[in-house]
Parts: sequence; structure tokens; C-alpha cells
Amino acid sequence: MKVNLPPEELARDGRFIRTALLTRALDPRVTAVPREKRSPRVPLSPELPGSSEAARSLMHGIFTGEIQAMEGAGRTCWDFPIGDGPADAPYELKLDMARQCWDEARHCEISVKLGDWMGSEIGEFGEATFLYEAACNPDPVLRLTGVNRALEGLAIDVFNTMREFGSRAGDPVLEFCEDWMLADEVTHVKMGSDWLRRLTATDPERRARALEFQRIVDKLFSIGGARGEEEDSPIRLARRFRELAGFDTAEIDEIAQLSTDAREELYDRQDRAAATAAESPAGGVT
Amino acid sequence: MTVTVTPETFVMVLFDHDAIVAVAERVAAEVGLPPDLDIQIVVDEAIPLARVHIESIDPVVINVEGGAFEDPRHPRQLGEELVADTLGRLFFQVLDRRSPSFGDPGDDNDQDLSHKVAWDTYAVGRLQRLGYDGRHQVRLYAFRNRHGFSDTSDEAFNRLWTGQDLTWDEITRISDDAVALRSV
Repeated sequence: MKVNLPPEELARDGRFIRTALLTRALDPRVTAVPREKRSPRVPLSPELPGSSEAARSLMHGIFTGEIQAMEGAGRTCWDFPIGDGPADAPYELKLDMARQCWDEARHCEISVKLGDWMGSEIGEFGEATFLYEAACNPDPVLRLTGVNRALEGLAIDVFNTMREFGSRAGDPVLEFCEDWMLADEVTHVKMGSDWLRRLTATDPERRARALEFQRIVDKLFSIGGARGEEEDSPIRLARRFRELAGFDTAEIDEIAQLSTDAREELYDRQDRAAATAAESPAGGVT
Repeated sequence: MTVTVTPETFVMVLFDHDAIVAVAERVAAEVGLPPDLDIQIVVDEAIPLARVHIESIDPVVINVEGGAFEDPRHPRQLGEELVADTLGRLFFQVLDRRSPSFGDPGDDNDQDLSHKVAWDTYAVGRLQRLGYDGRHQVRLYAFRNRHGFSDTSDEAFNRLWTGQDLTWDEITRISDDAVALRSV
């Protein structure tokens, strides 16, 4: 069996369509939207028009994330020799990753059933493989900060938001699915926090690299600042659950600030691109 | 029937103007819009959301945000099935609005969201009977979100989904009754 399987070799059947991150990142409707056309952000709520469609799309994204989280945790069991060196993974870490792999497999099954309930088909929306890509880092500690602390941390925020969405809509299936998966995600993030501290206890440089990687992933995938603590944040930062998952207040404050920064940077980029497009006869779009 | 789609050339998305015209002509004929009716479809390609609005019924003017026509698996590309689903639903609502016996639903933007979802259900149910997908479970989920997750709500949904020759008063009554029972 291969060590370090590249993302393009992930096994998928014909229902899944891969969407490259750059395709979304370079979408001119996102990068060059003029200020007057910018849709206001609102917290995700069942009272809004189109909210059930937004919920379906978001939950399908979570479903493909669960598949990749299962694949990533499984890879970490295999990709590193057992040991305590910088390129090794302790046996107990592999046990935790095996447990996570089992949890994620169950989440995949829950997500498929939830998709049936909401009317979604497997593969109805494009799949971005950023979670698995973060799980390809050659250092197991960076995998833990990139995936378990950053992306599974984002999953905590999404599950908590969607659990509240289900509760407000009176949808018992969505509410329970999110509540059960949220409980597991808190455990997965806690695993990341615990192993980060344990594996870098005597190696401050490695810890700094791992936390820097987490910051990059957190900022990149704050969805242009859509996940945050502002009044209009569609996805709320779930402070209490993050505390349970081993984040301290300063770390949570930093994630909130990263989201605010990501939003401001996105708006700045949009303003600059819109101005450029306005000056170009072809609208600046190719 | 003359179908006009603007813009003629899309620059922000990779939509095929002629494909939209072809789908609109086919669906309008199947829904039963009068053959002498002019139809204008105005696509705001800069907005990846999916809001739609019937601006007028003679000529028919429909404003569509680009996301309503976009293939969710392929960003910026046209999803012809979605074009048919979206326009089919709106064309049935145009047909309702043009019928003197239907009643006055008011402007799209002023409708109560529950009523709007109920009317969508009635329109898509008819579209499905023409052989289009209709995405029954998607519509049921949207209806439940507005009217409750209960057997009573599902019965209301079925009355609308299988309904024929309903009036605006009947649609809103079915919707209001389901909402009232939701809060009991």
C-alpha cells in the first residue's frame, strides 16, 4: 500500500465531481464583485428565503469533508512508522486516529441518511478536497493542527450552527445528527490539542511551525470570514465547544481575529478587482 | 412566442445564451403559456445566488440571479436541468397570475415566505407531472422548514403537490392551516 497517497488518487465513484480550490478562488463573481452588488451577510437561519437550499449545500460539503477526514485519519495510521521521532507517530496516536477513522465512517453514514432526508443526492454538489490536502502534510503534528484543530474546529462551528438551525426549524433529524456529530468533533479536536502539546513539549520550533500551519488553514478556510463572531456571520464561532476541545481563550480570540482579517482582505480584493474590471473594456474577465 | 435572454454574451459565467433560450421555449410551450406571449429573461450573472422575481406577466419579464441556472457540481457552468426547473416553476406561476379565477398573489417580494413556498410546491408538482424531475424530497424539505416537520404538514404538502386548479386563497389557506398547527 502506498505511503502518502496524493489527493488526486482518492477513490471516488462517478457521482463525485472534483472542484479545484482555485476554480472557486478565482471566480470573478467572488473576486470582482462591485460593492453595490455584494450580497449582505446574514446568519444562517431557517427564517430566510433559500435557507433550506443553503443548508443542503452546506451539509453536502460536510459529507465530503467526513469522507476526507476518514481518509486522512486512516492515512496517518499508515503513513508514519511507530516511534517517538520527528517523522514517526506514537502507537497511541495511531489508536486515536483509528478511533477517529471509525467515527468519521459513522459520520459518512449519518450524512448520507441526512442527505436523503433533506433531498440531496450524493455528488449533487462539487467536492473540494482541501481537508484531505491538509492531511497530506509530511509532519504528523502539522496534520493534527491543520486537520484536527483547524478544519475539525471549523466543523465544530458548522455543526453547532446547523444544530441550532435544526432546532429553530423544528427539524428533529437535522438537530440530532448535528448534535451527535458535534460531540465526536469535540473529541477529535481535543485529540489534536492534546497530541500537539505532547509531541512538541520539548520542541518549541516544531510547535511554532505547527501553530503557524494551523493559522494559515484557519484563515484560508474561514470562508472569507463567513465563520466568525460578527453579528452577520453566517457561521458562528462556537466558543464553548472549542473550550471543551482544548482551545484557550487567547487561541479562540485569535481565530475570531483571523476571520475578521480574512473578511477585510476579501472585501479589499473585491474592491480592487472591481475597479480594474470597470476600467477594462471586456469587464476584466476572461 | 418570442423568448429573449439578456445578456446575449455572458462574461462572468460560462452560460450558453442559446441553450437558455431553447430550454425556455420548450418549457413555456409544455407549461401552456400562450404562443403569442413575449418572454424576457434577465439574468444577473454577477450574483451567484438563486433569487428570482416575476417582474411582469405581459410581456413576461423574469429576473434571475445567475446561481439559479448554475450547475452546483461545476461552478460558473450552466445546469440545463436547473434552468428547466426554475423557469418551469415560474412559468406555471405566470400562468396562475394570468388566470382571472386564480386571485391576486401580490408582488413576489411582498409575499409571506410560507405562502411563497406553498405556491412553489403547487407549481413544481404540476411541472413534475409534465415529466420534469421536480426534486420531490427537496421541495418537501423546503415545505417542512416553513410549515413544520409533522404528518399534518406533509398532508398539506401533498394537497399542494398533487393539486390542480387551486386558487391563491386555497393555497394560502392550506399553508396557514399547516403553520397554525405547527405552533400548537
